[in-house]
Amino acid sequence: MIVMRFCARKLAPLVVLLSLVTVSHGQGANTIWEGVYTDEQASRGEVVYSQACISCHGQDLGGNSNSPGLVGMGFMFLWEGRTVGEFFEKIRSEMPTDRPGQLPQQDYLSVVAYILQKNGFPAGESELPASLETLDSIEIDSAR
Amino acid sequence: MNPINAMPHRTYLRIVTIVSILLLLAFFGLATPSQAQIEEFTAVTDEMLVSPPPGEWLSWRGTPAAWGYSPLDQINTDNVRQLQLKWSFALDDTGAIQAAPLIHDGIMFIPSARGVIQALDAVNGELLWEYRPAPPTEEFINSGAGTRAAVLPAGAFAGVGRGVQKNIALYGDMIFAATETASIRAVDARSGLLVWETQVADPTLGYFYTAGPIVANGTLVTGITGCDRYKEDVCFITGHDPLTGEEKWRTATIARPEDPGGDTWGDLPLRFRAGSDAWVAGSYDPEANLIYWGTAQAKPWARAVRGTDGDALYTNSTLALNPDNGQMVWYYQHIPGETQDMDEVFENILIDVDGRKSLFKMGKLGILWQLDRETGEFIKGTDIGYQNIVNLDPITGKITYRDGMIPRIGEELNMCPSTSGVKSWRAMAYSPDTSAMYIPITLNCELATFGPTERQIGGGGAGPVRRINYHHPQSDGNLGEILALDIPSGEVKWRYRSRAPFNTAALTTAGGLVFAGDWNRTMSALDADNGEVLWQVRLATSNQGFPISYSVDGKQYIAMPVGTGGASWSGSLPRELTPELSRPRNGSSINVFALPD
Repeated sequence: MIVMRFCARKLAPLVVLLSLVTVSHGQGANTIWEGVYTDEQASRGEVVYSQACISCHGQDLGGNSNSPGLVGMGFMFLWEGRTVGEFFEKIRSEMPTDRPGQLPQQDYLSVVAYILQKNGFPAGESELPASLETLDSIEIDSAR
Repeated sequence: MNPINAMPHRTYLRIVTIVSILLLLAFFGLATPSQAQIEEFTAVTDEMLVSPPPGEWLSWRGTPAAWGYSPLDQINTDNVRQLQLKWSFALDDTGAIQAAPLIHDGIMFIPSARGVIQALDAVNGELLWEYRPAPPTEEFINSGAGTRAAVLPAGAFAGVGRGVQKNIALYGDMIFAATETASIRAVDARSGLLVWETQVADPTLGYFYTAGPIVANGTLVTGITGCDRYKEDVCFITGHDPLTGEEKWRTATIARPEDPGGDTWGDLPLRFRAGSDAWVAGSYDPEANLIYWGTAQAKPWARAVRGTDGDALYTNSTLALNPDNGQMVWYYQHIPGETQDMDEVFENILIDVDGRKSLFKMGKLGILWQLDRETGEFIKGTDIGYQNIVNLDPITGKITYRDGMIPRIGEELNMCPSTSGVKSWRAMAYSPDTSAMYIPITLNCELATFGPTERQIGGGGAGPVRRINYHHPQSDGNLGEILALDIPSGEVKWRYRSRAPFNTAALTTAGGLVFAGDWNRTMSALDADNGEVLWQVRLATSNQGFPISYSVDGKQYIAMPVGTGGASWSGSLPRELTPELSRPRNGSSINVFALPD
């Protein structure tokens, strides 16, 4: 996985080549554009967000001076090329700021799904799983 | 103000105000009723605010000069080791606490999380009354009164910045507070019942308050924050009639295109001029009849992101305003065209030095500024030596950026301090007995990479920053420091360092003491002369807020608020750089100490 992330940033042509090889072998490596969460999971995440996140990051997820925006250009600047697993671990370990880690694990996953939805990444048939290995295999990439 | 833009805005606010008041009367009147009526209460006058009795604490930093100094000396360097807890009172854990309590007639008035205000017997902590805003009703949320987007679920966590009310003001027989939904309110100091509430700005645009009001020459003055989003409006400070809440004046903290100084934003239209939040309460000089209020940096933080390398008036400035009409008598911009989130918004300490009426302040860079508070002229600047971003001309006060220190989008910058700053809202204190300033410092640096934002209405903001915090090379692994500087020379008298950062304002007393508390629950009393630790105690959670001293019936007390949440680094730097330290995530309280009976 470390290799994959390094490739994404430094060796873009090579990663494209490797991806093609992978796909050609039918192993179906996840991309964030393949529908890695469900609409229902995102809906649950919206409820959690409105309870635990909204007062800092705003109703529109735009953030404020003390809390980063979670949508659009700002979000992609911070997370492009990193994995959903890293994002999940970040918020699970640090959020909400005064009770980090105290939400149920499924709530953190739901919030991640909601944020992905608000950033225009498509929903799919399967929920984001509670598997770091799987989450780490999903790169946040603005390019389809 | 552009009258074309102003008319609909004012009309809108008037409508919002009327609707809000009606709804507030209807719904917020359900707030917790008073527990007791305070019978012995003397109305607070302008004269009392300017020269409070020694045992009272009538303004957020003691007096309008904001020294953070108590003239009481019953507790002193000889006996401070005998201090013991007299009482403690739990505050709400539903939001952030950075309280600055007030003391009058033996009563403590304390701003708590989420708009709660409580009146406590200052001798024993008995609750006399509390004002508790009721959660907004569904009808209120759907009223279209302009607050819909800002209304949060009743149980929502009030996190960074939101929910904080640092200070309240006391005047006449009312307590004044500013809210997280951009309104100001007056509460009867005797009963805790709401008297009036005025919607000052539209919270759907992002506006809210963390700074509370001050009263200057009979006018209630408050500065707004939440000014980082792009909109057809700019940040401001307002003056109000304390009896009714009616707005008397409004002074913009950003130069509009057509205003003097409007060209300092290049050709950016009004909608892309953001920041200059007024998020820390000001000071007042009754002789000059001027209030001094700081403004924050421009938004987005980095020049390259906000699209101009102009000075961006009146960001990162000290403004001198006439409290009667809001006229800006002078301004001093500390860091023109600031570009790294190096805020200069903080407290203004008014000291006469060798007959010169001066104003002292320090921003995130750790430069102690001395200005002539009558004219705004630069007198002296003292760089305490922890920043690597700018050079300060000691003669003119002019700031120039060091080579390579103006950030470019996407390029990592190695800078000290981090965007957290070496100084933040944790106010410094001045002691006339030692002629020294005592400054809570946070030692830190950062690898910072600034990123872009959408330049569209509703966009903007501070701008994203990839942050990698690290210990300051001069810190020996410590995050915290109390720095004592001689005034006016700026020479270092002493430093006291701790692994944990200090997380409160400093308090000085005529007993030769400096009180402050750290993130790791330790409250300390230091010898103001040499920094020696004379007394320490561990409290429930992080010390956070503004300690005060007062006396009732001849007995001196020290009060320390503790709590969590709130802006600045409290949730980030200790977690990242001192991971072995931890604190309870609840336990907000006020803790009062005195000598044994």
